[in-house]
Amino acid sequence: MDDIRSSPDHDLVDAVLANRPGAFERLVREYQGLCWHIIPRMVRNPEDARELCQDTFLRVHQCLHQYRHESALKSWIGRVAYTIALRHLQHKRIPILDPGSDVDGFDVVGNIGDGFDLEAACVDEEMARHLHEAIEALPPLQRTLLTLYYLEETSIPEIARITGLATGTIKSHLFRSRLRLRNALEVRTGVAA
Amino acid sequence: MNPHDQDHIPAFDDDAHEREWLAQETAMRRERLQMDPANDDARSRRYRLIARSLRQPLADSLPGDFAAQLAARVGAAPAADASASASFEFRLMLVLVAALVIAAGIVVAIYGNTWLPAFTELLPKPQAPATRWLLALAACLGTSWLMGLWQRHAHHGRG
Repeated sequence: MDDIRSSPDHDLVDAVLANRPGAFERLVREYQGLCWHIIPRMVRNPEDARELCQDTFLRVHQCLHQYRHESALKSWIGRVAYTIALRHLQHKRIPILDPGSDVDGFDVVGNIGDGFDLEAACVDEEMARHLHEAIEALPPLQRTLLTLYYLEETSIPEIARITGLATGTIKSHLFRSRLRLRNALEVRTGVAA
Repeated sequence: MNPHDQDHIPAFDDDAHEREWLAQETAMRRERLQMDPANDDARSRRYRLIARSLRQPLADSLPGDFAAQLAARVGAAPAADASASASFEFRLMLVLVAALVIAAGIVVAIYGNTWLPAFTELLPKPQAPATRWLLALAACLGTSWLMGLWQRHAHHGRG
């Protein structure tokens, strides 16, 4: 606890609560990238995402005195962003997971052939676009988890603190998403061949 | 950067799934470290291709002055300070306690003559040794509690 209390996060929180000039702007600058890796992956629409990012930081500003330093500030702000995006989806009745996503992907383990020209695929812009579309087609939750894991380089326990999901559930989602993307890659290559 | 440690992450029941998971993780690390793909097998190469795609920055982004805009927006409404709020609550509590004590004093002064003798008869005689010890104990406990309350308040005020 002492380590967290003497961390730069602690100083930043104190500065914002004391209304020191530039402190809140520094906090936003520090964590806006994290929010942008969570909210647009959940809600897709860029305009909605920008508005929800604003709502996230206004909420952070309003509730920062409730932050107890029990987790990293990154996890706490990420949790606020995730919750705001989740409520937006619930309000619009958009599911965060595919209804049949519990089983999809598991059957293909070991059934995918090894014979495809990867080097050609790497340089193939069409293949990259196809993979990008496959990522965009993933359900909001899986897209967000993959972005946090790969782009934000957030560990699974930290993602658990942000989303409130169990580590085993996150692992399962990551596993199935990557399998699904691999399958999309294979199907595409098979069609091309 | 956070290490993708495997602490507290349960393994899959199915060995084939766990092997596939480990292959996914290894490929992700190799891609992140930009290791030579010549030694990768076909499965690893596919997962590295996926990793490369997932690590690309998102197309849209927030406006460059996003942080400055937000800071200007909240500038008129300063953040709620926990210590200031706690201090206000403590002062309010003291005022309420003082008002209660004054009101009780006024009530006793006005109506005390009529019902106070009935209560004093119910109380044990102050001359009894046990009563004196009990009163001393209550005084010690009360003083200790008040000192603790005051120290906690002083500590929060400094923090």
